[in-house]
This record gives sequence, structure tokens and C-alpha cells, in this order.
Amino acid sequence: MIRPTATERLIAVVAFATTLLLLFGIAPAQAGEDRNFAGSAQFDYMFARHDSIQDAQAPGPRTPLTGFTTEAALKIAVDISDHLSANFKLCYGCHGFELDMAYFDFRVADEFNLRTGRFSPTFGAFNLRHDPANHPFSDKPLPYDMGRMLRKGDWNNGVLPAPFPMTGAEVNGTHWVGSDVQVDYAAYVAMGFKNESDLHPTDINFQESHLPYYVTADPRPVTGGRLGMTIRLSDVSDATLGVSGMYGTYDFRNRLSYGIVGIDIAMRVGRATVRAEYLVRRQQADTSNPGIFKYAVASEHGDFFLKHGMYLELKLPAAEPLMVLGRVDAMIRQGNVSEAPVGAGGDFVVDSPLMNNVTVVRETIGLAYDIERNFRLKLSLETWQFSYADADNHKNDVSAHVGVVGSL
Amino acid sequence: MLPPRNPTVSPILTLVVQFFFLACANNHADFATALPNRPDLRADYQVFAVRCSKCHSLARPLNSGITDDNHWDQYVARMRRQPGSGINQVNAVTILRFLHALAAAERERMRARNDVAPLLTVRDGGSP
Repeated sequence: MIRPTATERLIAVVAFATTLLLLFGIAPAQAGEDRNFAGSAQFDYMFARHDSIQDAQAPGPRTPLTGFTTEAALKIAVDISDHLSANFKLCYGCHGFELDMAYFDFRVADEFNLRTGRFSPTFGAFNLRHDPANHPFSDKPLPYDMGRMLRKGDWNNGVLPAPFPMTGAEVNGTHWVGSDVQVDYAAYVAMGFKNESDLHPTDINFQESHLPYYVTADPRPVTGGRLGMTIRLSDVSDATLGVSGMYGTYDFRNRLSYGIVGIDIAMRVGRATVRAEYLVRRQQADTSNPGIFKYAVASEHGDFFLKHGMYLELKLPAAEPLMVLGRVDAMIRQGNVSEAPVGAGGDFVVDSPLMNNVTVVRETIGLAYDIERNFRLKLSLETWQFSYADADNHKNDVSAHVGVVGSL
Repeated sequence: MLPPRNPTVSPILTLVVQFFFLACANNHADFATALPNRPDLRADYQVFAVRCSKCHSLARPLNSGITDDNHWDQYVARMRRQPGSGINQVNAVTILRFLHALAAAERERMRARNDVAPLLTVRDGGSP
């Protein structure tokens, strides 16, 4: 398969952005069309006390993304009619440009909306506000982490790195029972995650799922959905409970499955929010080459691992421009350990520090300060406790973020 | 012997100092004293602030530059349908009352700037 060069990708991105501008920005509005043009950019500096030597020497994208990072996005939403709307969003992050949204919503009623195109399927409570302008921390909670966690190479990121745009179709809707209870649902089929670069896949290759080619040799779609309920407790408070699930295969033979379930709960009083989520992913691995595993492969139930993730976060507006933040998040990984790094291609193995039952706990305190409308300063301090030592014999770590995010 | 100083500390300190001075220079006077404090809109603003800040910053709608009431109608209808929005029909009416006042203020501001043709298309307002 011939892969496009970096120049070809850049040309494609510029051409796409130009087309968007011509279609939606410069062309005169049709009668009845309402267009919302929005954008955001976050510039963040992450300092970590320890940079793992082992991570830096290992092949593949294993090093933690400390230092400066940029996340930027441009979005246009068009209400074409009372029943039809479109959303296009182009974003730029640590691995280049990505088409985060390119979908149409055809709404028959509040209770029935058909979404088709490229989008992140409805899962959990975080993905709706994954844009750095919409959440006050510099980084995402560990279950949804995409590259900012320490030792990310050991863990292959979070449970469900967000965003996770896929091509597919979703039916969703919302229904009010009286004026105090809102019930939401979503069900979808989409392309799903993949790993087509490893000879013996042992985990999803999330980076491959976000890079060209955007097709997969696995024709079977991932299926999933979410059911949520929001109860208004008063005029200024409400509580939300949701359950989500996703199931599919990620290898081209359709033999290796992954299933993710999650529960999300949030409570809001005034503008203060407490939010918690728990996710677990059951991940099947190809065990036909037992030499790449750290432990002997059990004959029964030896071909999968579990990755649990959870977070609890508090957002407390202290005064109009200042928000105080607190977060505790954690992950647990249970099961055999592949010593062939995801995305390295084949049977090359490294001495992975992971064990069959490891944990990481992170505690974060932070401030979000609105310097000006649409321009926010983000400060946070994080402590990390791993249950295993890295190559430098460290179990604990400290990191800090200084960032600004602007939106338009 | 003291260990060598970590060279990454300096950029952080520099950024912190820069942001401190930027923060001192901020101006929230219009945010705090304009429409939200108008007696007839204070209650509407509170509903708008509580419900809309659940998913995005209030700066997005407040700085949107939207001048068309119909546009706000469609936009709030779309936001109301977001999962877990908690925006019921009564809230939608209340929020729109504030946003229509915001649109009127925006039209007035543009008129004062001698803009002959007010913007019918929108510069901003989405939630990426």
C-alpha cells in the first residue's frame, strides 16, 4: 500500500481547508441557513520531573509528550433547515491534522436524529467537551488520555483516547419526561479501531486509527451506544447518569475483539460541577507467537487483558474569572504483557516494565483564569504514583502544566 | 557539588511572569456590568450562565457577534438537544430572552459604528 508523503498530506489539508472556506465562509448564505464559525487553540508547556530513559530509547511513539504542545481546531456548523444541519471540524494536534467532524444530522424529531459521516460516536460524558476550550484542564482525564500521560508507551495511552473520530452512522435522540427528566440515547455502527501494522497484534494501534489510510481491511463495524438520564434537582442544579458500551474487532481477520463499557455520573450546582466516570476495556490479543509475551500464555483466558480507568473531577468557580480545579484519576491494567511495542511492526521485543497487575494514580490541582473573554490561562500541578518502577527506579513523579487556550 | 540546574525551569518561570502581567491587565468590566446586570435580564442571565456553561465557556455566545434572533432560536434548539443539556423548554425561552437582548445590543453596537449592513452571517458561536 502506497502511503502519502508529508507534502501530499499538507497539500490535501490545505485544499480541504480552502474548500471549507469557499463552501461556507465566502459563499453567500442561502435563505434560512445559519452558520457558526468557531475555533480554538491551546498552547501548553508540560514539565515532568523524570523523563524515562527506557521510553526514549524504545521504538515507536513511546516518549511522553512533555515540552510544548499545540492543539488547534476550526469548526463550522450550519443549520441548513429545521431538520438538517452539518458540522465540519478540522483539528491539529501532536500527530498532525485530523478531520474530527464531517457529518450531517437529519433530525426527524427531538427523539430521532440520524447522523452520518465522520464523527466520534457517543460514549461517556467527556467526549462532548474534549476540545481544550471546553474543559478547564490542560490535559484529559487518564481514561481518555491521548499522549499526555507519563509512560504512555507502557500503557498504550488511556482506555479510550479521545477524540476518536470514525466513519459511520448513529441514531440518537433526547426526550423530556415532564420538565425535570431528560432521557438521551445513541446507537451506532462505525469503522472502529484497527491494528494492521503488527504481525501479531496485541492491542489497538490508536495512532494508526488516526492516520491515512482512513479505511480498514476489517469490514465489520464496531457497534455501540449510550443511554443517559438527567434529572433537574432545582433551577440551578441537576444530576446526570449514563451508561455506554462499544464492541468490535480490530484485526483484519476479524478475530481479535475489544469491548469497552463505561458509566458516567455528574452533578452540577450552580456553575460548580462534580463529574466522575469509570471505563473498562477488555482487549483480546494474538497469542500465536507466545515469544513476545512476558509471561507464559495460559491455555484458557490467557489471550486478553483488562484496562480499567476512572476519574473524579471538581470545577469550582471561585470568582467570575477564576476557577479552582481538582482531579483524581487512575488506571489499572490486568493481564499478560506483550513486549512487542504497539506499532513497531513485528516480533521485536523490549523489556517492558509492566507487570500483570499494575496501577497508576494521578492527583491534579489547578487553576483556570480568564485573562480576557475567550482567552484562558491554565495552570496545574500533577503527582503520579505508579505501582512499578521505571528503568531509573522511579515509582513516583511530578509534572506541571502552564497553558493558554483561546477560542473564537 | 550542586546538581546542574534544569534548563526547563527558566521558560516556565518566564511564562508565569508574563501571564501574571497579562492577568493584571485584564478587563472584565463590560462582562460584569453590561447586560447581565440589567435588572430585567438578571434572572435570565443566571439561567443562561448555569445551563450554557455546562459544556462550554460563556465567552463563546457572549462574543459571538450574532445579530439575528432567528439564528439564536435555531442555535439554542440545537444545544437543547445535546445529551444531558438539562435545558428544558422553559429554560430555552428564558435563555433566548437574554440572547435576543444580546443580539439587540450587538445590532446597536454595530449601528453606532456606522455599519450600514449588519452582519447576517455569524462570525462565531459554535462549540468545537
